[in-house]
This record gives sequence, structure tokens and C-alpha cells, in this order.
Amino acid sequence: MIQSALLVMLAWLIVNGVDRVMSWQTFARPIVTAAITGLVLGDLTTGVVMGASLEAIFMGISAIGGSVPADACSASIIAVAMTILTGVDTETGLALAMPIGTLMATVGEMYKPVLASLAPYWEHLAGTGNMKSFRIQTILCGLFVDRLPQTIILFLAVAFGVEGLQSVIGNLPAWVMSGLSAASGMMTGVGFAILTSMIWDKEIGGFFFVGFVLSKYLGLGQLPIAIIMAVVAIMYFYNDKKLLDAKTANAAAASANGNNEEDFF
Amino acid sequence: MAKMELSAQEKKTLKSMFWNSGLVFCGFNMVKMEGNAFTCTMAPAIEELYSDPEERKQALVRHNNFFNTHAVLFSFIAGLAYALEREKVTKGSVDDDTIENIKVALMGPTAGIGDAFFFNCVRVIAAGIGIGLCAEGNLLGVLIFVLLYGGSQVVARWYLLKIGYTMGTSFIDSIFSSGLMTSLTKSAAILGLSMVGAMVASMVNVKLAWTIQVGQTSVVVLDVVNSIMPGILSVALVFGLVALIKKGVRPVTLVLGILVLSVALAFFGIF
Repeated sequence: MIQSALLVMLAWLIVNGVDRVMSWQTFARPIVTAAITGLVLGDLTTGVVMGASLEAIFMGISAIGGSVPADACSASIIAVAMTILTGVDTETGLALAMPIGTLMATVGEMYKPVLASLAPYWEHLAGTGNMKSFRIQTILCGLFVDRLPQTIILFLAVAFGVEGLQSVIGNLPAWVMSGLSAASGMMTGVGFAILTSMIWDKEIGGFFFVGFVLSKYLGLGQLPIAIIMAVVAIMYFYNDKKLLDAKTANAAAASANGNNEEDFF
Repeated sequence: MAKMELSAQEKKTLKSMFWNSGLVFCGFNMVKMEGNAFTCTMAPAIEELYSDPEERKQALVRHNNFFNTHAVLFSFIAGLAYALEREKVTKGSVDDDTIENIKVALMGPTAGIGDAFFFNCVRVIAAGIGIGLCAEGNLLGVLIFVLLYGGSQVVARWYLLKIGYTMGTSFIDSIFSSGLMTSLTKSAAILGLSMVGAMVASMVNVKLAWTIQVGQTSVVVLDVVNSIMPGILSVALVFGLVALIKKGVRPVTLVLGILVLSVALAFFGIF
């Protein structure tokens, strides 16, 4: 199974790698992922046919707002691999794949703080001005580091079975998990704090809370809030323009008056 | 809007920005999100516009801030930022804060539009056609899906980059000639700050699990705090972090501090 596991890992790296350098969410969709897994494992037709039903299953699951309920990509890879390697049907393959999706989500949550702690390193790298190395490291990070634990899990799952992995994760003390998941919820705050400290202005600072209230209390999405606040911003802009126009008109009138008086005397 | 002729240099920079704008998901993390990709995308523009190495470094760090939007409309904002950077260098009419404000103001709405159009519309159509063919074992289904869904994104990404740049250039020109730059900065900041507030509300999450035993009843601290003002902990966290940043605490310290503190507090059942 080690050889198959390596091939499955290769399929995973291909679909994720292509999506990462093309800023797509195309190859990691089940319809493409299943076909590529089939191709790598030497049974393209099974992959293509399974891709159709897998895509239909995962069609409704959207990634809006950054929350992915089940990892469609890894679940598809495992389902296709199980079918081709052990001869079970699509439904059974998918049932075997589902725990992997949950496992990946759990481990992904634990890995987020690790990636987040790289942020200062990136900033330092940008500060050196060496863009070539920044770009290469970003690409390498995207290809291999971003989803490293998921890659390893996928390998282990195919090579040694799903049950063993689950018990390993199950044996972790619960407080480690809840602590890590709490940390990843708060780390986003660092990014927003940097932004806020950059654009903060006493005169208009209150608008932070307007946005907060619109989102948290009224439950509005980003777009409606943006439209409301754009109207406010445009009104502010035109008011300011009127003030400025009035000021220039006044100044012009004053200087015109001044000339008249000079003529008069 | 009058059609603008792009110079050879501008075309070259835009092309290079286009290839870099494919890296949206590379180096993604919870602190910067797509910030690294934005730095990569802006790099060709910054290398063209800034000759002084120090200024160049500063500009790169500026574009390494938190950034998050839809992968395709990403390039529209990058094009706009290129136009703004050019104005900053050639006419000095735009300052760093304006560029940042406009970026922040646009990321929420563009994310919404991008998801609605590409994820919920184009993807569903492409998958619908693809599934039909694939079910019969026809490889063409996969190819059509990639061409329709992936292809449309690539094409849109290129044109949005160009539109962002040309729109930005003509728009900023007219604003600057009327002397309204400060008004624009302020109104962009209004939009930007409210979007940050909205994003803090939806994305920053303080998962308090603390319960206190008072005699027979247990008090869930998070519920008590939220009954005072829902989400007050997120706001407090962000402004606490702002205060620390203003004091000069480095982001790495903050990130690691949060990590260590949450795991330690989770041990005592607070998280």
C-alpha cells in the first residue's frame, strides 16, 4: 500500500499545486480531482465517472466565508483511491473518506497557528526587498508547507488505514485542541489590529463600530454593509467638496473685494 | 471613460503582475491571509516605480498587510493599487494611508461579488455540463469544467487587472485636479474602517468556555459578557492589540503570545 499511498499523495500535490499557482478552486473540485486520482492510479475511467457523482454530492457545499464543512478534495481522493484499490463502490468509498475530511479539518485547525506564526517572517522577508526570494518562498510554501499535515494524513490514511489515525488524534488531551482552536480564532485579530492602527483617525474612528454593529447585531453580509457605508462615504465626500467650493468662492470674493477697494481709494 | 493607451512599460508591469496574481492562496495564514500574494503581485509595480532601495522596501512591507478577497477580483484591487502607487510617485498626490484605505474598503464587497458570480454561478453551470459528460465516462466533461470555470477566472483576472489600473489612473487624475484628495482619503477611510469593523465582527472569535460554579448553578461567562454587548470580547481584543502595536510590540510577539496564552488558559478550562 505504500506505493499507492505515495501515488495518492502525488495526486493531492498536483491538484492543490495547480490551484495554488493559478489562484483557482478548479483542480481541487471533485470532478477534476477524481479524474486526476484515477489517472495517477491507472484507472482514468473510474475516476471520471466517480468525479460526476462526487461533484454532485459536494455541489451544495460552498466555501463562502472561509468555512469548509467537509474537505471535498481529500474526501474525493480517498473515495476514488478506495474504490480503485479495494474494489468497493462509490458510496462505500465516500463513507470511508468522510472521517478523513473531519480529521483533516481538525488537524488543519491545529496547523493554522503554526502558519500564522510565520507572518512576521514574511514581513521581515518583504522588508529585505529581495522579491525573487520572497516569491520563490511563497510558491514553495503554497506547494508544500501550507497543507503539509493534510498531505501526511492522506499518505498515512492510505498506507496504514483510517482507524489508527483517528485513535491518535482521539488520544490528544481535549484542552490542547480547544486551546489551539481558540488561538486561531483570535489570531485574525492581529491582522485587523495592524490595519486599524494604520487607518485609525479620531474624527471618523466611530465608523469602526457602525460596521461592527451592522454585521454582528443586524447580521448583514459584507456587500450590503459596503453599499450602506459607501453611501455614507460618498455623502461625506460631497459635503467636503461643498465646503471646499464655498471656501474657494469666499476667497475669490474676498480677493475681488480687495481689488475693488484698492481701485476705489 | 476615455480609452487609455498603455505604454510598453506599463504593459510589461501589468503582465508580470498578472502572473504573480495567481499566487493568491500561496502562503495563506490567519494573520495576513492573502497578504503575501499581494506583496508578490505588487512587486513588479514597485520595482518599476521606486528606484530607491529603501523606499522600495517600505512599499513592499506596506503591501504585506492583511488582505483578503475573492481570488479573481483580487487583481482589480491590485491594478488600482498600481495606479495609486504611480500617482504617489509621480505627483505625490496620494499618500500611504489612502492606498491602504482604498484597499481595505474594496476587499469586502469584491469578495461578495466574486463568490456570488464565480463560485455560485459559473461553477454551477460548468459543473452541470461537466457532470453530464463525466457520468458517461467522457473525459471531455473534465476538460470543459476546467476551461469554463478555470478559464473564465484567468481571463477575468487579466481584464480586471487592466480595468483596475486604467480606472484608477483616470479617477485619481480627476480627483487630484479638483484638489479633493483629502476628502477622498477621509471618505475612503470611513468605508475602510467600517469594513474592518464588520470583518472583526464576523471573523475574530474569542471562544471562551469558562463556567463558574456559584452554589448549585453554573454561570457561563461568555453568555454573561455577550448579554452586556454581543462580540464585546472581539472588539476588546482588537483594540487591546492596537494599543500594544502602538506601543511598538512586534506582531510575532502578539501571535506567539496568543498561542501560548490560549493553550495555557485552555488547560485551566477557560477556553
